[in-house]
Amino acid sequence: MAIEKNYYTIDPQGKLKCFKCGVPLIKGKAKFMYLDNGFPVELPVCPVCGFVYVPEELALGKVASVERALEDK
Amino acid sequence: MAQIQERGSTHVYKVNKISKEEVDGMVARCVYEDPPFCSAACPLKLDARAFLQAAAAGSFKKALQLYEKIAPFPLILSAGCEAPCEGKCRLGEIGEGLAIREVERAVARFGEQSRLGGIFRTKKRRTVAVLGSGLFALLLAGELEKKAYPVTVLCEEPDEDAYLRAAAPFLDEEAFRLELKRLRGKDIQFAFSCRPDAALLEQTRQNTDVLCASWELTQRLCPGAVSIPELVFCEEERIVSGPTAGVMEAAFAAKKAALTVDRLVQNLDPRNTRGQEGAVESRLYTDLSEAKERSRVPVGEGYTKEEAVREAGRCIQCHCEECLKSCAYLKHYKKHPGLLAKEIYNNTQIIMGDHQLNKPMNACSLCGQCTVVCPNGFDMARVCHLARQNMVSTDKMPLAPHEFALLDMLFSNNEAFLARPQPGFETCKYVFFPGCQAAAIAPETVKAAYLDLCARLPGGVALMLGCCGAICDWAGRYEMEEQTRDFLDRELSKLGDPIVIAGCPSCKKELESHEGLQIVGVWDLLLEIGLPEGARGLDRPAALHDACGARGDARTQDAIRELARRMGCALTETPFDRDRSPCCGYGGLSAYANREVAGEMTEKCLERSDAPYISYCMACRDRFARQGRESRHILELCYGTDAGSPPDISEKRANRLRLKNELLQQLWLEEPMEKKLTYELLWTDEARRMMDERMILTDDVIAVLEGFRENGEAIEDEDGLLVARRRVGNATFWVKFEPAGEGYRVHRAWSHRMRVEKREG
Repeated sequence: MAIEKNYYTIDPQGKLKCFKCGVPLIKGKAKFMYLDNGFPVELPVCPVCGFVYVPEELALGKVASVERALEDK
Repeated sequence: MAQIQERGSTHVYKVNKISKEEVDGMVARCVYEDPPFCSAACPLKLDARAFLQAAAAGSFKKALQLYEKIAPFPLILSAGCEAPCEGKCRLGEIGEGLAIREVERAVARFGEQSRLGGIFRTKKRRTVAVLGSGLFALLLAGELEKKAYPVTVLCEEPDEDAYLRAAAPFLDEEAFRLELKRLRGKDIQFAFSCRPDAALLEQTRQNTDVLCASWELTQRLCPGAVSIPELVFCEEERIVSGPTAGVMEAAFAAKKAALTVDRLVQNLDPRNTRGQEGAVESRLYTDLSEAKERSRVPVGEGYTKEEAVREAGRCIQCHCEECLKSCAYLKHYKKHPGLLAKEIYNNTQIIMGDHQLNKPMNACSLCGQCTVVCPNGFDMARVCHLARQNMVSTDKMPLAPHEFALLDMLFSNNEAFLARPQPGFETCKYVFFPGCQAAAIAPETVKAAYLDLCARLPGGVALMLGCCGAICDWAGRYEMEEQTRDFLDRELSKLGDPIVIAGCPSCKKELESHEGLQIVGVWDLLLEIGLPEGARGLDRPAALHDACGARGDARTQDAIRELARRMGCALTETPFDRDRSPCCGYGGLSAYANREVAGEMTEKCLERSDAPYISYCMACRDRFARQGRESRHILELCYGTDAGSPPDISEKRANRLRLKNELLQQLWLEEPMEKKLTYELLWTDEARRMMDERMILTDDVIAVLEGFRENGEAIEDEDGLLVARRRVGNATFWVKFEPAGEGYRVHRAWSHRMRVEKREG
């Protein structure tokens, strides 16, 4: 089996909680999609409702720079 | 809420809209790469600018290296050079042209010869022989040695001394000694005391790849030989040779002959691919105001080293940077526009790969200043505008840099749009079109102006609050521009096709592209009907900033000055005024696509004066005020209003809506459809600041909170703050907040354009 590649991983370490479901977020599988491109990542996810959290630092850092790179394709 | 469709994929293959020929034609207007006039006049193509720069810096060794590129024997050339360069020196127009030849003589005499000359060079395989003596033969042998050919000179003379004396009898003893040393240092094989006859000619022809000879010898051994002047080649006899008279001609002929040798050793036709030989015309523009010393350093017995340095120092290093001097955008990219335009065109041609020039392409303010300041009318705006349209047509244009502005335009022409005839009229003679930025930044001024125009103009004055379409035009979205034009035309038709009173020069310019539309600037009308009561200028001198939208519109520029004069404004002189005025950074959507460059544009505008600025475009007024400068729009002075400190991006939208609703209620007695929040919304200062910087609107935050109120989806962080998100259009907005009283207090907000979702497996 091929080794799965994740472009980015954030482990919430029990510090975040889903407000709706009342459970801690866990490190879960998610994907970013933009302009017909997809990137597998691991982000804080609610194990019950599937809410995927994108922290501010990630949005303004890595995500923004990948967006810019793809926009110029 | 209006939305714009993002392109679906980066994998799009479409044909382009602009032709290479069209771009090449535009690029050719830039004269930056044209040679300076002195170099252009030199048939040997001395890089005189670099040569004089080196000499002026006292670097005679470097200067000599440059001179040796055209002269294998510098003292011989400088002794007999006719100096066509001096006649073309631009300094001659305002004083005495540079004594370039005298500097050359000094450099040839005092310059230290480079020691490495050829030791490590790999020799070419093909051999060349030069028969006979004389100036041409000597210089040709020198040129060929420079090109690393194994050269053999066969001559009657018994040694180098006699050979050099036969070639250059005019040299004084000192020069002769130096050139003899130079000749001996060159990698040239000599066969002295040869008897020049037909046998030697044939024998040499057998032993060598290319045969060259002095013209005197060629004629003697091959009577009736005809040399082709441009090739210095007797084709029938296969001898590289030709007649010359004087040092300059011999040097030029030797250069051409050496190129002919290059072709012959490769078995190519010597007529082809020779490049541009000899003197050329230059179109370079030179700003002579930079010239300091106008008189030559007296020559006397020839320059000393110090005198040569001084004379070379008079060189103004002719180069054209007129556009770079005035345009912050070109200065930012540190490229002359010819090169930048070429790169931007190439950027549009990329089918797969990175479009690295997107940012420069979208950073230009399309203001047209370069076209005015360029002596050749280079039009960077057209290049960038065409490139943007091209990127849109091939579906390669990213939406992100322009989306906020485009959505703002859609907001202006939807939620905030208003078109009504003056109360009491069905159709009107006029319609006031203040422009989207005026309504966003100075709504009270718009209101005052409209009420005044209604009161004083006969025939009814309708009002149209909206965007003229300049935004989508600047973004290169030509289809959207067409739709906007149709929309506005329909609305104007409903009002009885009135005369448009434009409140903004950019709107005026954009609306002028509508067929059959009559347009007048509000400033023209105010001059005609007189200023309203209470109009008053600033009580201290102010700098007038001409709007880039009024470039080439002297009537508007004059009208504004006259209005200011009538209000008692004392205007200070500023450089780059009227048609040469720079853009404030809003034009061409620079402020959205490249904030850094736009900021430099604003700085460039403000560095012209320390005085308060008066402008007649609301975007200029806003950008100057944001930089902390006292800034007023001419209409604020006319109507005694003060728009105060600049609004943030959300307030700009709120102002437009508020103005529309107020006027609807007060003038047309209509109840506006206002959305009222059922809860209280509070903000931390940091939240407001970051929203403005990150282009997040109050409406975006409300959309997130509405979503949270419906589905209760949020994250609770370590500090007990909640974070909710919602996809609005092409972006996902995140809001960090806490419940507060009857509503919420917003702490932070951020966004991204990527979609994110849970992945199974």
